Amino acid sequence: MELTEREIYTVLHGLILGTFFLLAFGGGMAGLWSLRGKLLTEEGVQERTPRLLIGTGVMAIVAWLTVITGTFIAYPWYRATPPEGVDRTDPGALIDFPRYLLLAQEKTAGWHEFGMEWKEHVAWLAPFLATAVAFAVAYYGVQLIRRRDILRAVTIFFVLAFVAAGIAGLFGAFITKAAPVA
Amino acid sequence: MTAPQTDTKPNGPVAAVFVATGIASLVLGLFVTLNEMSPDINNFLKFDAAYGIGSGVGPLSGKVVLATIAFIVSWVVLHIMWRGKELDFRKVFTASLILVGLGFALTFPPIFLLFEPA
Repeated sequence: MELTEREIYTVLHGLILGTFFLLAFGGGMAGLWSLRGKLLTEEGVQERTPRLLIGTGVMAIVAWLTVITGTFIAYPWYRATPPEGVDRTDPGALIDFPRYLLLAQEKTAGWHEFGMEWKEHVAWLAPFLATAVAFAVAYYGVQLIRRRDILRAVTIFFVLAFVAAGIAGLFGAFITKAAPVA
Repeated sequence: MTAPQTDTKPNGPVAAVFVATGIASLVLGLFVTLNEMSPDINNFLKFDAAYGIGSGVGPLSGKVVLATIAFIVSWVVLHIMWRGKELDFRKVFTASLILVGLGFALTFPPIFLLFEPA
């Protein structure tokens, strides 16, 4: 029972950062949703604001960490090119080359051609969206409850950040199952 | 695009980061599509080979670096322009959503692959 260095890294990238992302989204969303109440007092808003700041701030930081580590550490392992002489049609010879392993079989090629091609790009929308949300929450703080227009926009961007990251995370899990980076 | 003052902070700085997000999304989507259209742009986007940014990442390195630069630069410029101003946030947010939507669509393989040379 052991994990390779690459497996440890992919656990960090997908599972640990992914878990933090989900937790931060849950906390942030609960905070944003609770501000919609029309009967909230000034004290109630002040009590919720730190949770909202933490949730949105952590989500933005985790989104950046996830895309940077995913793109610049895991992705090169995924797209590594087999050396000369390796048969690119033989899945058995392509275990260490996930992209080529997927493309070698018709039944798995779509995981690269659609799944990875979408995942590697759409994931990068999440940190931009999450940063905008975190900035807006930090900027307005307790005043956010008096800015319904901003609150609605922040909530929509927050959900879009989650959707972008969710698409990337879901395809990441499926692709790792079909062709692990090990 | 200015709006009446309110009793809260002016929305200019928040408008700036929302529009910057839209611009960054569109820049990302455009480079994803241009990368498919032209071998020259594909080579240009290989920032790993040209500048040593992310060994083995290929053209994805250029796409994400340029989108991030677009985000930071447009945020800073718009922040300076709109600091202390109250804008019509409905218009700002609609424009931002359209830009994000275009960027999102251009990262979708069935769309950007339409631009692949036959």
